[in-house]
Amino acid sequence: MSTPAPSGFRVASDKPFLIGLCVLGGSYLLIIAAMVLADLVFLNYNDQPVLGPEMVQQGRYSGGEIAVTLEPSRDYFFRKGKNDAGLQVGEQRIASDGLFRTAGGQAVLVPHANDKPVTASLRPEARVTQITVSNRVATVTTDVAHGLLWGEFIRVSRTGKPAWDGVREITDTTTNQLSFAVGPPSRQQAVVTAPTAELSLSKPNPLVQALRSRDIRFSIKLSLVSCTLTTLLSLWVAVPIGYMMSRFEFRGKPIIDTLLDIPIVLPPLVVGLSLLILFRYMPEWLSDTVVYKWPAVVLAQFMVACAFAVRTMRVTFDQIPQRFEQVALTLGCNRRRAFWRVIMPQAKGGLLAAGTLAWARALGEFGPILVFAGATRQKTEVLPTSAFLELQAGRTEGMLAVSLIMIAAAVVVFIIARTLGMKRIFA
Amino acid sequence: MIALENIALRQGSFELRDISLELAGGEYGVLMGGSGCGKTTLLEAVCGLRKISGGRIILGERDVTLLPPAERGVGYVPQDRALFPTLPVREQLAFALVLRELGQADISSRVDELAELLGLTALLDRMPGKLSGGEAQRVALGRALAHRPSVLCLDEPLAALDEELHDEMCRLLERVHRETGVTILHITHSPSEAKRLAGCHFRLANGKVQRDE
Repeated sequence: MSTPAPSGFRVASDKPFLIGLCVLGGSYLLIIAAMVLADLVFLNYNDQPVLGPEMVQQGRYSGGEIAVTLEPSRDYFFRKGKNDAGLQVGEQRIASDGLFRTAGGQAVLVPHANDKPVTASLRPEARVTQITVSNRVATVTTDVAHGLLWGEFIRVSRTGKPAWDGVREITDTTTNQLSFAVGPPSRQQAVVTAPTAELSLSKPNPLVQALRSRDIRFSIKLSLVSCTLTTLLSLWVAVPIGYMMSRFEFRGKPIIDTLLDIPIVLPPLVVGLSLLILFRYMPEWLSDTVVYKWPAVVLAQFMVACAFAVRTMRVTFDQIPQRFEQVALTLGCNRRRAFWRVIMPQAKGGLLAAGTLAWARALGEFGPILVFAGATRQKTEVLPTSAFLELQAGRTEGMLAVSLIMIAAAVVVFIIARTLGMKRIFA
Repeated sequence: MIALENIALRQGSFELRDISLELAGGEYGVLMGGSGCGKTTLLEAVCGLRKISGGRIILGERDVTLLPPAERGVGYVPQDRALFPTLPVREQLAFALVLRELGQADISSRVDELAELLGLTALLDRMPGKLSGGEAQRVALGRALAHRPSVLCLDEPLAALDEELHDEMCRLLERVHRETGVTILHITHSPSEAKRLAGCHFRLANGKVQRDE
């Protein structure tokens, strides 16, 4: 069988090239999307039970199974580790994570193989045994240690009394007790009595915790205010520098060009340290008002964000031909009027881009702020600092919640910027 | 009138020296020359957009050598037209008038007059991005004429127009010249264009301007 021989020149298919483009570009886009999605999916949005102490002894499986005693009609929280096959209670095998309830008795942990460390966790849910109320503060006693801390939040439910249900801030704790204010704050005179029905406690999800926390509320506010201030300052400086670098030739221009890139090239931490050292040489009243106070936050953000704004503005002005100014000059403008009437209206898109970039850089700034402004709660704590403090306290979920708040803030700002940009294009 | 007396200027390694040119008031002069011989540079010098290192520039009986472009009373139409992308046609035409702080009524009557002259009446509210090549050229011309300059500098105004538009623009330029009496200095590559429009021919070659009779 023979096909007619192709005559002369043939060109190879475009498919491999196009597929290559899609694969390379797509893989990066996929990672970006997956990264954000992972954060959203990983966070457990359900309330978590208040759990007592760990019941499984640490150690290794050594031939025998590890036994624990379970009380009847009580909820336990089981988490299977990588070395454990499950928990055997009589005939029942508990192999999935979560709360369960049995008739009680002896339970044994079944290992995958001997001589491996125990990785499972079994904890009783804390039950409320007693409620007392005095001066509108409820004190709840639990039958096991609840592990909650002062300043955390607790959701009270199933009380049968609307004044009791809701998320409350814990105002005092001991091992087995915790206190919180009850009743709406507006009705001071209302007499609050303990509910008769069963009261159930749970830990609200980390996002609720974060948004209710006074520290994090402050850091959200400080982040939004300082980033906006930084953006305005950056544009204020970046527009003249960008215009000057784009339009004028002068001696020492390469040196200035290099200087402008220093904040971009320098490790952020070093920027913070350099600022700190610089302020040792400043008059005392100045360094007293800046260092370790909120102005330090703005200054640290500004040093880095502004460099990016300058770059963006310079490219923007470079892309606007000089012809426009020249024509405007012959029509009767001086340089200032030509700049405001002809150049700035064309630079709006670039201005918006520079502002967005500066805002986003400022929001993510962490190293220099930590060094130059410190990480004092309710004073110099911005969102990245909050994330760091949460991580340090061992609350990954809390850090994730703060990260989600930052993602949300960034997304909102980008949407606003894009909408403004679109308006400009479609006007 | 336009008079250049022994002008010297340099731009990087490019240099023009001892350039002289004289065009009487109300005349239509065409300046020709090969690519890269400095025609545009010379025109920019007339408009005050390029510093000259020697000589004098006289526009309409005034020595403007040291004046900024705004005070020279020139209308400049660059080769790429450079219409301001953010302004509608009406505001392009009114640009120079607004800068001179004329009253609203004066401005709109002058804009209407220009639109009438250049056939732009229907386009006054268009943005420059939505204009054809010929329309954009007419707007650029109108913008340069708005403040009644004594001198109009045109940098290859008919390049990149097709045959039909080319002819139409030629007629329009003749009409503008006749009706406004402005002194025009027009740069072109095309000998036929020069022949048709000009009363006065100049040739820039080897760093010298010659007057062709």
